[in-house]
Amino acid sequence: MTKKTLTLLFASAALTATIALPAWSALHKAATGETVSPLSTRLGSDDQQRPMMLAEDDDHEKEGGSVSRRGSDDDDEDECEDDDGNCGPAAAAPAPAGSVPPPQNGLFDNSTAPKVQVK
Amino acid sequence: MMKSLLAALALTTALSFPAAAMARPVTLSAQLKDYGGNNAYLALYVTDKNNKYAGSLWLAGSRTRYFQHLAGWYNATGGDTSQINGITGASVGSGRTLEVTLDLKDALFDQGYKLHIDAAAENLRESPNDVVVPLTSAGAGTPVKGRRYISSFTYSM
Repeated sequence: MTKKTLTLLFASAALTATIALPAWSALHKAATGETVSPLSTRLGSDDQQRPMMLAEDDDHEKEGGSVSRRGSDDDDEDECEDDDGNCGPAAAAPAPAGSVPPPQNGLFDNSTAPKVQVK
Repeated sequence: MMKSLLAALALTTALSFPAAAMARPVTLSAQLKDYGGNNAYLALYVTDKNNKYAGSLWLAGSRTRYFQHLAGWYNATGGDTSQINGITGASVGSGRTLEVTLDLKDALFDQGYKLHIDAAAENLRESPNDVVVPLTSAGAGTPVKGRRYISSFTYSM
């Protein structure tokens, strides 16, 4: 019985130490003014540069020459493929170059349409 | 009659000349590294001398749900697609070169504006500010190295 109790005590002490030591260390660092880095940065991840997860590739997109017009090969734009309907922020598809003039943002002289090519 | 016609011609010429001189065709050329992944989405946009978003110049990639990965552009615009109506094209393949020619206002040059390019590709890391280059007359034609996806960027006029 005593042996069992001691084993349980030892196990719980070890568990507490495992959890508490890193937390204590972080608190101590913060108190002494050291920078506390989150675990994610220690593991090499960079939250500013997360991977872009595309659900499918864009091979169907026209690459060279003129830019495709809306409704030609981009009909599936903004289709929600997530079962939960959670496909990120919903936004109207932008009008492709050549279909409307560039935006009136003060940067363009809107008399000429943009020309684009991918080589 | 002839005199008034000439006067009208002179007036329209005088009015149209400064307007023509206020903008010029500028070619933006971004050569991508051979990173081996799928097509890259690129957002080309401009900030002013206070580092405030001034407007978009081009967006390569048409699917709005991926625009959030162009982090700098997305943070500045909230993904507002009206900012890129008429200046959106296809995404750009690995190792290929995007070349866009736009009629840009002269006032964009030598006034503290900077051109930014955010880049992202499937299953690869986002690269906000892959290129940041001041827009100056002297800098035209000078290649600039990108950080992750863009091997070289040039603007020429």
